Amino acid sequence: MIRELSALTRRELLRIARNPQALVTALLLPILYLLLFGQAFDLGALAASSPGGQAALIASIRGAPTYFSYFSAGMAGFVAVTATLFIGANVIFDRLFGVLKRTAATPATATSIFGSRLIAGSIQPIGLAFLVLGLSLLLGHLGLSGLQVTASLTAVGAVEIVLAVVILSLMFASLFLAIGFTIEQPQSYFAVVNAINLPVLLTSAALYPWGTMPPWFRNVASVNPITLAVTVIRENLFAGATAYYPYGPAVYLLGLLGWAAAMMVLAIVLARRALAPKQ
Amino acid sequence: MTAAIQVDGLAKTYNGSVKAVDGVSFSVEAGEAYGFLGPNGAGKTTTVSMLTALLAPTAGRAIVDGIDVFADPASIKRRIGLVFQESTSDSDLTGRENLQLAAALFGVPRKEVAHRIDDLLQKLQIADAADRLTKTYSGGMRRRLELAVGIIHSPRVLFLDEPTLGLDPQGRAGFWRYVQELRKEHGMTVFVTTHYLEEADGICDRIAIIDHGHIVATGSPSELKDRLGGDVVTIRPANPGLAAAAQTALALVPGVLAVTPQDGTLRVKCLRGEELVPKLVEACDKAGVGLAGVSLKRPSLDEVFLEFTGREFREDEGMTATDMAVRLGQVQQAWGRSRR
Repeated sequence: MIRELSALTRRELLRIARNPQALVTALLLPILYLLLFGQAFDLGALAASSPGGQAALIASIRGAPTYFSYFSAGMAGFVAVTATLFIGANVIFDRLFGVLKRTAATPATATSIFGSRLIAGSIQPIGLAFLVLGLSLLLGHLGLSGLQVTASLTAVGAVEIVLAVVILSLMFASLFLAIGFTIEQPQSYFAVVNAINLPVLLTSAALYPWGTMPPWFRNVASVNPITLAVTVIRENLFAGATAYYPYGPAVYLLGLLGWAAAMMVLAIVLARRALAPKQ
Repeated sequence: MTAAIQVDGLAKTYNGSVKAVDGVSFSVEAGEAYGFLGPNGAGKTTTVSMLTALLAPTAGRAIVDGIDVFADPASIKRRIGLVFQESTSDSDLTGRENLQLAAALFGVPRKEVAHRIDDLLQKLQIADAADRLTKTYSGGMRRRLELAVGIIHSPRVLFLDEPTLGLDPQGRAGFWRYVQELRKEHGMTVFVTTHYLEEADGICDRIAIIDHGHIVATGSPSELKDRLGGDVVTIRPANPGLAAAAQTALALVPGVLAVTPQDGTLRVKCLRGEELVPKLVEACDKAGVGLAGVSLKRPSLDEVFLEFTGREFREDEGMTATDMAVRLGQVQQAWGRSRR
């Protein structure tokens, strides 16, 4: 079991490493948001023009020093969605090119076939999330709006950020694997995934200031998995931010874990069904 | 000798009515090479998919290497090797990595993996390309890699499902040479499906001819040819309207065993065909039937196929059972929608 799981995971990781264009595509959307949306959507300029505006802005973005800082932490979470999307698509292509059939003809269990893809899919976004944060920091040094980290990041904080990205990736990798094992045509897959992607982003707190959301929207956004992960990142990057949130990072990580567990159960059921002998 | 494969009444029906495999029974001895010969859509791949635990049957039983296929699919997969008709190797991995992955999944003892892979790469002449991504491989190299992946765990029974599809004759001959060497070395039982008659003739100890999901004849290639009872002279009347008259005349020629009309020609079964040809031509002449052509064929599996199925051996232009099942499903869905 361990041997087949590690052999299959190695295969998935080799495949990711040998197809860097997938990683570039995964980064494309978050980077466009950073370079265009984040630069043009300058709430700071608006706040500076009114008395008490700056204090109101900081309260609205829950202790982050600037809107861009708040927003770039959101993009570091969103990259988990754009990166795991390919893990589901790979299932579809593996089915088309016979690789899935070849694996089904070996004694490998459905659990390892699913598990290897889930592991590879959850490792891959960690680097990308830090790349997004790094790029956001760099932008500040280039005279553009950039990320300002105002808290001193502790080892525990770094681990919490990694966990937030990994668990969010586990959740979305499970969701996209569930879809990949169920849908057979690439075009249908991408249609379904796009119908999920944007609504999930737009109902999260990755983009909008918390203060501008109507109460009903806050209720939706507060349980959105991207919000949960992004909150963990924000609480660790911005000094005093925890005072603006009802809970500490551990609670949000637990909530995220609940989401991930539910998606994993759904995905494993669908994967096992897809990999069982055809009726 | 015990049977390596024992199949009883195996059937697969799609959508409740399309019979892809219609109750086949056969047994393959250990060490034997057994061929399923039939046109596209005859049910060959469906049978292999069921025997390798990839497809659940509608009815019937199959024992492979002493294990009930449908009761214990995991054990079966460990004991058998399977080479698919399409390429299934991982194009993002090298040949060696493909083999390493297969070795791990089949549980080949770790100590033996490197040696076994090197040995197979050498034997199948892909050693030079072992560390190249398989997307750079030629068709023949891919096929040989598929074979290597299929036998990395030294299976007791090897299933080859149209393994040489799309290869040129030289590539096909090379592929079968490797299979024969491996058989000699390991004493593997081989179950092969093909629609290349000369392959079945050259490789198989016994053959089953399958058509429309039924086995229509079984035997060794020479037994099947003997059953034809001799040579076949094909006579083509210049005027197809006179075929019936020619048939009557030909049937009366001494030495003729049978005359059957087929697609505007007459197949005359006889012994010592070359001596009989002048007499057959003379008989037609006397009956007033002009001839457009005469040909003599020694018995071949082509003739065997024609004899047992009533059709020339060629790729079916019609739909396969799977195509029909899919089409039927679509029609049923459309019908359901229109009624709602």
